[in-house]
Amino acid sequence: MMSSTNTPLFEVLGATKEFGATLALEDASLTLRAGEVHALMGENGAGKSTLIKVMAGVTHADAVAYRMDGRPVHIGGAADAFRLGLRFIHQELNIVPQLSVAENMHMGQRYPRRLGMFVHWGELYRRSQQVLDTLGVGYISPRAIIARLSAGDQMLAKIASAFMPDAGDASRPARVYVLDEPTAALTGEEAERLFGVIQALTAQGCAVLYVSHRMDEIFRIAQRVTVMRDGRVVSESLIADTTPDVLIHDMTGRTLETLYPPRQSAISPEPLLSVEGLVTTKIRAVSFTLARGEIMGVAGLSASGRTELLRALMGADRKLSGRVALRGKVVNWISPRRSWDRGLAYVPEERRSQGLVLSRSIEDNAVLPHLDAFSRGRVFVNRRRERRETESLALATRLKARHPSQVVRELSGGNQQKVVFARALAGRPDVLLLDEPTRGIDVSAKHDIYQLIRQKSADGCGVLLVSSDLPELIGLCDRILVMRAGRAHAVVSAANLTQADLLRLCYGEKIS
Amino acid sequence: MSRRKFQGFISVVFIVAALLSFGAAGIVAQDDITVAVVTPYLAQPGTQFMVEAFQAAGEANGWTVNVIDTAGDVAAAVSRLEDVAAQGVDAIVINVDPAQVSVGLEAAAAAGIPVFGMDAGADANLVTNVTSNGYAMAAETATYVTDRLNGVGRIVMFTFDPYPPVQKRGIIADAIFANSPDIEIIDRVTPDVTDGGIADSRARMEAILAANPEAGSISAVWAAWDQPALGALQAIEAAGREGEGIVIVGIDANPQALDAIAAGNGFEASVAQDFTGIGGTVADAVARHLAGEIIGQGVIYVPTVLVTAANVAEFISE
Amino acid sequence: MNTTPSIPHPARQIGRILRRFGTLIGFFAIVLFFWSQRPDTFMTVRNWLNITQQISILGVVAFTMTVVMVMGDYDLSVGAMASLGGIAAALLFQQEMPVLTGIAVALLIGVAGGLLNGVLVSLVGITPFVATLGMLTVFSGVAFFISEGETIFGRAIPEQFSDFARGGIPLGTIGEQAVLLPNLTIVALLVLLAVWVLLEQTTFGRRLYAIGGNKEAARLGGVRLRLLRLIAFAVTGVGAAVAGLMLVSRLASANPTQGDGLMLDAIAAVFLGMTMSEEGEPHVLGTLVGVLILGVLRNGLTQLAIDSYVQQILTGAIIILAVTLSRLIRRAS
Repeated sequence: MMSSTNTPLFEVLGATKEFGATLALEDASLTLRAGEVHALMGENGAGKSTLIKVMAGVTHADAVAYRMDGRPVHIGGAADAFRLGLRFIHQELNIVPQLSVAENMHMGQRYPRRLGMFVHWGELYRRSQQVLDTLGVGYISPRAIIARLSAGDQMLAKIASAFMPDAGDASRPARVYVLDEPTAALTGEEAERLFGVIQALTAQGCAVLYVSHRMDEIFRIAQRVTVMRDGRVVSESLIADTTPDVLIHDMTGRTLETLYPPRQSAISPEPLLSVEGLVTTKIRAVSFTLARGEIMGVAGLSASGRTELLRALMGADRKLSGRVALRGKVVNWISPRRSWDRGLAYVPEERRSQGLVLSRSIEDNAVLPHLDAFSRGRVFVNRRRERRETESLALATRLKARHPSQVVRELSGGNQQKVVFARALAGRPDVLLLDEPTRGIDVSAKHDIYQLIRQKSADGCGVLLVSSDLPELIGLCDRILVMRAGRAHAVVSAANLTQADLLRLCYGEKIS
Repeated sequence: MSRRKFQGFISVVFIVAALLSFGAAGIVAQDDITVAVVTPYLAQPGTQFMVEAFQAAGEANGWTVNVIDTAGDVAAAVSRLEDVAAQGVDAIVINVDPAQVSVGLEAAAAAGIPVFGMDAGADANLVTNVTSNGYAMAAETATYVTDRLNGVGRIVMFTFDPYPPVQKRGIIADAIFANSPDIEIIDRVTPDVTDGGIADSRARMEAILAANPEAGSISAVWAAWDQPALGALQAIEAAGREGEGIVIVGIDANPQALDAIAAGNGFEASVAQDFTGIGGTVADAVARHLAGEIIGQGVIYVPTVLVTAANVAEFISE
Repeated sequence: MNTTPSIPHPARQIGRILRRFGTLIGFFAIVLFFWSQRPDTFMTVRNWLNITQQISILGVVAFTMTVVMVMGDYDLSVGAMASLGGIAAALLFQQEMPVLTGIAVALLIGVAGGLLNGVLVSLVGITPFVATLGMLTVFSGVAFFISEGETIFGRAIPEQFSDFARGGIPLGTIGEQAVLLPNLTIVALLVLLAVWVLLEQTTFGRRLYAIGGNKEAARLGGVRLRLLRLIAFAVTGVGAAVAGLMLVSRLASANPTQGDGLMLDAIAAVFLGMTMSEEGEPHVLGTLVGVLILGVLRNGLTQLAIDSYVQQILTGAIIILAVTLSRLIRRAS
């Protein structure tokens, strides 16, 4: 790899693609340089995915040209892209869960053999270990069953597999990595490791195209950023020359101050939810008090117990001991059903596997926890009331859908998340338990959700907000509870808190 | 895209239609005499002989014979009776307990279609029932065993009370054995017949052999039909106890049983029903009825024969 | 140029209709075919009343089976439960107990057996396939045990009871004969209505569909998973017992195996019905179409005098065809 920093390595020029009447891409160009991380930003539907698919040879553009090392090249299909050294890592990993890390890394390649017949397992593990070491993730064992790894380590192993030298064919090494929202399912800790790997890649002279919605990441790891809107490239700049505000403006026409709507009402002194010594199998003796109108952030690394805290409050995990009081009254027998009835509302961490019944309609999902309230005599469903409620919720959450009877599966990620949110608002709750409510959705949808959270807090709701997006926690919350190893490590005011301080707290340090 | 899907669907519908008409091509025109035979038991060898004999006789008469097997499902037999009644066949032959299909028989009666029993059971809704005398058959083998043992011994019985024609065989054998004070019934087994009766009977017999290990502790096996007797024989051979002189008898004289009798390994006797004769007699009864004759007998018995090593050769050569 | 033309509206509409109603269209195609082949005897009021009566018992089992299948569960024990419920009632009749006592006991056995399935699946946590397969054997064994393997028939079955299956509501006369809407058909229609209301109109049904779509999301969304599964299995159990009673009435006899064949047909009917919903969920009206397809095929093929074994092959092939087709259409869109 003799190309030095800042020389163009791979270029897409003038990509144009029409789908029916809509222009998905209009004269979009992108230049990736050796040794550089290039961020690609834009709202959902801005054309990022289409551009990547064109690069991968999966979608055929109406017009496009490619250059590699300054020379024109042709990409007619996925095989061409692979031969040129382009590697694509998507959010949804295609792994075989029951196989080992090494086997997953060798997927689609010949296994090393003995006597031309028997798999040479030692060699297989050795080679995999070598690649993992190079990328600084040598702690992942090639022998481990991949399903047992955390989501982050699975992604790292998969990235490593793209780095595997092809057996006996050194002529097509990987040169360009395209990572499509790789951190959407990762915790801060896991993301940190990924960033380390990305650094290792660029140090070797590779170019990285990094797609993300998260501003903090982009400013940490990218050198250059391209923003797309409506199929066009609206700006390309060096990270050093730009600010988050400018980028958000490029993406949406909105500024950062308005992304986190400011608090406009006072927090009432009335305690709404008080928790003393709450213990489950996953959390140990957590205590805190949430006031009416307060937004309390919950920060922490993966497995710190932040998700489990919400699960315990909701009754999804069994409470072993401790005292939970709601509106001054001690509640026993906590179960999801009772919690909803008591005025708690829950947005779980995984919207697809825990939050939504994808095969059912928007209205079925929205009213599910409160079916009885919208029924005739708690027995028969009342479609008219359900419809009216769903329509008003859709309006409040700015949900974009054809009809309340539309099946949730057909909605975009952001709109699916709004359905989960609408469901949480349906029963006019007192306490909102939100676990990563803005993960993997675009800036506009995030903004809508932030405004809703503010508004509910102004209405007197208490909010517990779990997030791994630190700017979001700092921008939105009044206080932040930091979880570490199942315990409440600290409770701090979010005012004047820096990201660095918050991160340090998450890693177990104390700040003055 | 959609158009191609639509074409695909339509072509599949036509394939189904074509399949159906292929099956339908086998039917003869409606104007000659059609007789439907309805049975859940066509898998039984005896039923096959009867039905084949009936078909042969019927076709000789120029009839169209439509055989319907419901594979053990009696409720389906009722439904099929209603169907052929609606179709308007000229006569119906049943090989199933009439009491269990009386709803279907009423449908036939309402359509004015005569119904004949083929080894079925007596019923007022039947013109007549042609069968073997089940009591007599059981008496033949039970007395054979009593005579062979000179009235002294320990006997294992295989019976099957859920099926009335077999149930009556058991009752007669019970009575005959009870009449010999020195005959002891060790066990009265109802085997699981879903596998045809041999495999489970063998397993049950193996357990009984294990429970009675001394030579001579089992004198005879009386089975209400041949399959359990064959299973018992296998069990005895597998246990290496064929030398003890355990007498095995069955009823029906199916081909496998005939071979076993000829081999002389302990399977000594069975009773041959004249299935061919039953089938032929039913065809004869149908023909007489259709010709306007009134059949007075509610039941027509066709004679049976005890098969032993002495006469087994004639049956095998058949 | 590689542009994909946008799909014109009417074509998309046809795709949608096919996806939803392909199976129904197939059903009408089958009916038309039989009508054309047997114009005098197939498309008659009497024959259709016959068909409804013939499928009534399967229908009751399949309709109530739909309730557990909505949750993504199965009940393989329904056939054995039908046998058990029937023989239990018949044994009581034999003891000269009142007809109503026999019916009540059979229904109670249905509820108890269903609850037992529910406990195994929902509280103990055994997969429905294994739990209900085990209970199938248990129910069947109990049926043999209490009846000592005998068939109960003849005068043991009160006429009052067996006459029910022969009777019906007079609809008028055709020719000389009175035409009746059979009582068994009426029972099946009532069960159909009850299950339809339960699944489509009540909060209970709504929650069952949520469970079927995503168990974890339903639980976190406040659905009482265990309780609801328990109740649903009880409904299926009682449906099987009703079917068992209908069998005893229709056959005027009871034996410990007479309902065993119902289970596979019921599951097949629900699967046929599932081809008619966009999301592949079972709906009881879809199940009705499935039951009708099975019933009409049997009636029509018998009238065409097609060999019984060929009938079986055709029936199986048509079920597989329908499900394959709906899968292909879904994949294409």
